[in-house]
Amino acid sequence: MRLSLKVVALAAGTALALTGCGRDEGNNGGGGDTPTAQAVDTAKASGTLEVWAMGAEGEKLPELVKEFTDAHPDIKVNVTPVPWDSAHDKFVNSITAGTTPDVAMVGTTWMGEFVGMDALDPTPSSIDLAGFFPGAVDTTKVGGTSYAVPWYVETRMAYYRTDIAEKAGVTEVPTGQDEFKQMAAKMKEQDGVKWGISLQPGRTGSWQTVLPLAWSRGAEIADDKGYTFDTPAMVSTVDYYGSFFKDGISDPNPPEGQTEADFVSGAVPMFVSGPWMMSLVEDLAKQDGDAAFADKYDVAPIPTADGGQSSSFIGGSNLAVFKATKSRDAAWTLVEWLSQPETQVKWYGLTSDLPSLQSAWEDDTLAKDAKLAKFGEALKTAKVPPTFPSFEQVIESFDNEIEKVAKQGLSGADAMKAAQAQADSIGTGA
Amino acid sequence: MSAPTAARPQKAAPRTRTSRSGGARLEERAGWLLTLPFLLLFLVFTAWPVIQSVFFSFTDIRNKDLRTPFAVDFVWFEQYAKAFADPVFQQAAFNTIYFVVVGVPLTIIVALAAAIALNNGISRFRAFFRLGFYTPVITSIVAVAVVWRFLLHPDSGLVNTVLGWIGINGPNWLGSTTWAMPSLIAMAVWRNFGTGMIIFLAGLQAVPTQLLEAASIDGAGPWQRFRNVVLPIIRPTVLFVMVTTTIGYLQFFEEPFVMTKGGPLNSTISASMYTYQQFSFGNYGFAAALSYLIFVVIAIITAIQFKFLSEKGD
Repeated sequence: MRLSLKVVALAAGTALALTGCGRDEGNNGGGGDTPTAQAVDTAKASGTLEVWAMGAEGEKLPELVKEFTDAHPDIKVNVTPVPWDSAHDKFVNSITAGTTPDVAMVGTTWMGEFVGMDALDPTPSSIDLAGFFPGAVDTTKVGGTSYAVPWYVETRMAYYRTDIAEKAGVTEVPTGQDEFKQMAAKMKEQDGVKWGISLQPGRTGSWQTVLPLAWSRGAEIADDKGYTFDTPAMVSTVDYYGSFFKDGISDPNPPEGQTEADFVSGAVPMFVSGPWMMSLVEDLAKQDGDAAFADKYDVAPIPTADGGQSSSFIGGSNLAVFKATKSRDAAWTLVEWLSQPETQVKWYGLTSDLPSLQSAWEDDTLAKDAKLAKFGEALKTAKVPPTFPSFEQVIESFDNEIEKVAKQGLSGADAMKAAQAQADSIGTGA
Repeated sequence: MSAPTAARPQKAAPRTRTSRSGGARLEERAGWLLTLPFLLLFLVFTAWPVIQSVFFSFTDIRNKDLRTPFAVDFVWFEQYAKAFADPVFQQAAFNTIYFVVVGVPLTIIVALAAAIALNNGISRFRAFFRLGFYTPVITSIVAVAVVWRFLLHPDSGLVNTVLGWIGINGPNWLGSTTWAMPSLIAMAVWRNFGTGMIIFLAGLQAVPTQLLEAASIDGAGPWQRFRNVVLPIIRPTVLFVMVTTTIGYLQFFEEPFVMTKGGPLNSTISASMYTYQQFSFGNYGFAAALSYLIFVVIAIITAIQFKFLSEKGD
């Protein structure tokens, strides 16, 4: 029964495609052609905009947009919150059926796919992308052309317990990868510590920790033509990552959802994650009666090796305008307004989403928080993986290889050879 | 249909027939008209998509081809060949068979045992237990998953705590390649036996008590009564439960999807889950081919079960 449902879903989607193929077939996978990217007229824009946003953003956006509609009485904005779980399917269905919204929040790793389906309007020349974090701007680009504006960003840093580090004799977090591993090993020797550092042993999303370490070793996972997993720098990174598990510093079979609790209790005093973890660990500590937990930990940049620059992973979401919009001017006017520094600071206050615009970080609410400022610093050099349409599928096989490295002790060379072979058979998807 | 028509003399048979068939034709037309809404919906949303997905399983259609589905390349059996050569699908097929071979007999035994216990047990608590055993069936899989994750947690879970009392150091159930599948089977059996139990209960209640009494008088013990009186009578019920459970378990999907995401090391990925993954990556042609492979396997196994069990019943 469940299977037949899926078959129906498959075919229903394509049935929509059949009825919705009135428009030109765009077969430009974002290749060499430069779209017009015509400037927009923000002064006289009018119309009704349908806006889709996921998660907390979808819930909070109407509040923010009210200010926009007060300033632009000719533009009406309807915000539709979309659950993250079904968002991707909903977008793909709406693109094939020609029922896209005017403006939408688009996950950074979906850009390549949507542009490949000829759905997004290129960013107009009137919007200046120079003020955004360069890594965030890279997420909007497919084949050299920008198709969105970065909305909010996040990046990964190493969290560590300062009190336990002190006991281990570490006063400053090492910037080198070998020294960083020694620090984790020393942390493990302290009383009450079970594992030195929590690292994800493969499966969904482990690439978000492995890639920053690889970039900080000077590795790249792709060039213009395709994926490059089997380079010496990648292989040595994977071996380095695997050595944490081999040497018993990290748990190869950690129970799910324990990272925060283990960090607060001190059982695992280090991990690598994004800015949202700050409020999670502090709230958890508060529940345990420790209101001053914020002073017991700090964040540090991803350690480097072999002359690499510390480069973390930049994530977040972009704001895109769909090609089918009837109110292109109004749509880009809204996007432009959402990308103003004041709006971004206000948005941070509503959702804790970090601003993608560098100037917004000069505001006191962000600049005064020492840990947050470190995230701001890390964002300047943070990078994105390639926006090939096949990225999600390729990186899943990469994650599976990392799992074998962590749990079965597979060598970095074998793992990356397998990942490369699968990436080659899948292709870039363009 | 109408009274005058029916009252016509036999002699006017030819004319009667035309007039009758005229009425029947009208009735037939009305019938078609009334079923038309359903037929249209069926054709558009079920029949046509099924035909389309067969067509797609012979093409290399991907999500970027959706706008031009008739321009995709025909690759005939390439997607099917790819499935057989795919090591992950091989693993998924193995896991699915493992799940069916262990899970189906366990589910049927537990369901039958529960039904017999309920049928013979103290009547005062029967309704309570029937409800209790059936509740997992209608509980949302997400709620079930949360509870089972708590139970199976390696450090603080109830299962390992109880094992600890008797000196056994329990494994990380869902994080171990050896134990993840048995954990999911246990959960699936617990979740699904209620359906079989309800059907068995109905079957058991249809067993005439005189037969059982007669067998007792002839000196048959409980096992002999069950083996020689009850089992032959409920054989069709057993067949029904076995076939539906097997079909359901061959489409094993939710348990690994919410509990393990197919891990660790693909040890719990199922054929349906792999199909779903490929579909969500936009490999529609490949996913359609995988779906039809599963469909063919289900058809073959069901046919075998029917042949085997119904022949024995004759």
